[in-house]
Amino acid sequence: MDTIIELKNITYVYGSGTPFQMTALDDVSVKIKAGFITGLIGHTGSGKSTLVQMLNGLLRPHAGQVLLHNKDIWENPKEISSIRFKVGLVMQYPEYQLFDETVGKDIAFGPKNMKLSDEEIARRVEEAASFVGIDKALLDKSPFDLSGGQKRRVAIAGIIAMRPDVLVLDEPAAGLDPRGRKEILGRVRQYQRDTGAAVIIVSHSMEDMAKYCDEIIVMNRARIFAQGSCAEIFARAEELVAVGLDVPQIAYIAQALRRGGCELEGDIYTVEGALSALVSLFEKKGIPRKTANNA
Amino acid sequence: MLKDITLGQFFPGESYIHRLDPRTKIILTVFYIIITFSAKSIFSFAALFLSVVMIIGISKISFKTIIRGIRPVLYIMIFTMILNIFLTNGEDLLFHWKFIKIYKEGIITALLVLVRIIVLITGTSVFITYTTSPIQLTDGIERLFSPLKRIGVPVHDLAMMMSLALRFIPTLIEETDRIMNAQKARGADFSTGSLASRVRALIPIIIPLFVSAYRRAEELAVAMECRCYRGGEGRTRMKILTYGLNDFFAIFIFLLFLAAIILINIYAPGFKL
Amino acid sequence: MSNISNISNIFIKTENLCFSYDNDGEEKVPAIKNASIEIEAGSYVAVLGHNGSGKSTLAKLLNMILLPTSGKIYINGRDITDPEMSEDDMFEVRRQIGMVFQNPDNQLVATVVEEDVAFGPENLGVPPEVIRERVAEALETVGMTAYARHAPHRLSGGQKQRVAIAGIIAMRPECIIFDESTAMLDPVGRKEVLQTIGRLNREAGITVLNITHYMDEAVLADRVIVINDGEIYMDGTPVEVFSQVDKLREAGLEVPQSTELLFRLNALGYEFAPGILTTDDCVAAILAKLSRTE
Repeated sequence: MDTIIELKNITYVYGSGTPFQMTALDDVSVKIKAGFITGLIGHTGSGKSTLVQMLNGLLRPHAGQVLLHNKDIWENPKEISSIRFKVGLVMQYPEYQLFDETVGKDIAFGPKNMKLSDEEIARRVEEAASFVGIDKALLDKSPFDLSGGQKRRVAIAGIIAMRPDVLVLDEPAAGLDPRGRKEILGRVRQYQRDTGAAVIIVSHSMEDMAKYCDEIIVMNRARIFAQGSCAEIFARAEELVAVGLDVPQIAYIAQALRRGGCELEGDIYTVEGALSALVSLFEKKGIPRKTANNA
Repeated sequence: MLKDITLGQFFPGESYIHRLDPRTKIILTVFYIIITFSAKSIFSFAALFLSVVMIIGISKISFKTIIRGIRPVLYIMIFTMILNIFLTNGEDLLFHWKFIKIYKEGIITALLVLVRIIVLITGTSVFITYTTSPIQLTDGIERLFSPLKRIGVPVHDLAMMMSLALRFIPTLIEETDRIMNAQKARGADFSTGSLASRVRALIPIIIPLFVSAYRRAEELAVAMECRCYRGGEGRTRMKILTYGLNDFFAIFIFLLFLAAIILINIYAPGFKL
Repeated sequence: MSNISNISNIFIKTENLCFSYDNDGEEKVPAIKNASIEIEAGSYVAVLGHNGSGKSTLAKLLNMILLPTSGKIYINGRDITDPEMSEDDMFEVRRQIGMVFQNPDNQLVATVVEEDVAFGPENLGVPPEVIRERVAEALETVGMTAYARHAPHRLSGGQKQRVAIAGIIAMRPECIIFDESTAMLDPVGRKEVLQTIGRLNREAGITVLNITHYMDEAVLADRVIVINDGEIYMDGTPVEVFSQVDKLREAGLEVPQSTELLFRLNALGYEFAPGILTTDDCVAAILAKLSRTE
């Protein structure tokens, strides 16, 4: 797969020269692939929020380069806002940034800043709203009358409407109930599959990561700790736990079963994976099963 | 970044000034304001400047913090300096071009006024905000002004509102930063364009900030009710305010200082404001 | 706790509790419908439900932030819906039932940790020396003694939330309601808060109601109550509740992955006991099944 965005030897230090000095990124190099959903994990303070703000130029690295399509985004600092249209960043709890009279106008804020024509803006607003599952009838309502989950989706639509090449979401499902999580993450995946854009999701939930991401980057102490497919990453469960991260519960179960002498095949990090591995093992061992007919 | 604003923030500590009774500190602040405005002679300004350096030293607040606290009023300082330089008439003409005349007296006045602003801001913030926790301050104000309760002034409520406002300053500053970043991510531009367009550019920040402040206020009110808050009546305090020897000493020193400044004004030779 | 034998140890009791939000004169939206529950003193109850299910409304009714439309609520045997309740009685109810909310920033009132913890006892008119003792003790309980003189806005989310809990403990409540208190925290902060909650329940005997939508938190409780559309939808031990996977899904909730795995194996005809919750139990059940055939 092609690299769409690349960080090269990035260093970023907060409050340098003060007693609060803290290196948030320490010589970080990483490549993000196009056409993939990449998950970014790491505990609080590992540097992942700083990294995310590097990608669209909200923060400027103290050393190193950010390359978008192989071009340094800081080549012309005056043009940095055009980078923000190409790398769309949905911040944490984005519903708190809604401000306009109607949902439609709020979604249109980004495209308007891009100086697009009115027809183009209208088309994009509608398209973005449908991606996040916001009904057309809601476009004329005040964003402040919506439910929490709906507000979140409107805020995401506001970024999608800019048609970014890279969509970055910082904890898109934070604070939502299971149904809301599924809805949001499902929509994001569908958006990725439909548009082929690169998507980066920052999350604490390993279960969600395993379910929705193609590739995972793990950060620890201002550095990249590991990068690879879900299978590769979650196979290193013990290392992840050692740096204060979790693995999906199901990966623990698979590991414990193997330790107990179970010969499970394949990489297991989702319930589906565990299910099929267990069923084939049960069949091999001839474990009886009740069929629906004689139950 | 906005986060760097330190004006109105408390730095816990154990210095002599930290330990003074908040009422004393309020009184000292009032004294300090009077002293700053009564300074006329160039020598009293020197004494004033020396005093503020000493106060900062005793408070153990870092100079860096103090400087960061002054930064937000930099424009006001520059503006008053320019006004003083150009509008003061004197005898010693230094520069003359068309209608612009700059006198030596103008420059001295500008510098003295600058000292006055710096001393005023630093002095009051060291006494009031940096070394006094908002709750102590509220306590101090409430006790100091409690006689006003008798004429129906809701002293406790006003003091509580003030202390909550101070508590939420850092929170709201962080929030402003976050919202600004979020809108920048949507291509908002706050730094170019005409004045009108810059003001318009603030709407996407101010509205979410207002909505969020309102939501916070509502949640805070419920949380306070849940912690049995019912106004000032029947309320006790963990920290009881008592005047100590230290407090009388500090007030005594300030009285001497005021007297000294007045004497210097009268008897010292040289330039006077 | 009480030595009067005829007082039952039911701490919270509701009878046909109903509540509707006033929707600007429009049609009233019922948030709680006919809810009758009894909660024993000293128990650890998880209240589950999706966003908008009415679970937070229930919490606000219990400590009189909201007043019910109809029905009765008894706290410690006292009818708090009684119109004779004085303001003092109401504040006594709020002292007995402390609340910790979702956003830690919006419940801290002071700029120094110890002064914040003192806020509740100060409101109750506790004498200064006693407040000092309580503040020290409360900070000790939540493990925040070292931060007594710190400014709360510099703490992590989990630490802030523990300060908020200390502020409640200092009022000496019998019961604490956690209203999605972990929803905004990272995994480390969540763990800190959950450990604190568990300790308060076990060691201090405080009745705990943890309102949440995290299933792994519900597993820690003695009892799980599921609220759906304002009604008591399920009520039982975690094992009883989590064995009904389909019913939980209907209410917009999920089960732990271990439970889901065994549930799906069951559906394929492999018989596992329902309601297995923890990683260890799940592993043990599968290994037992395999060894039986060998």
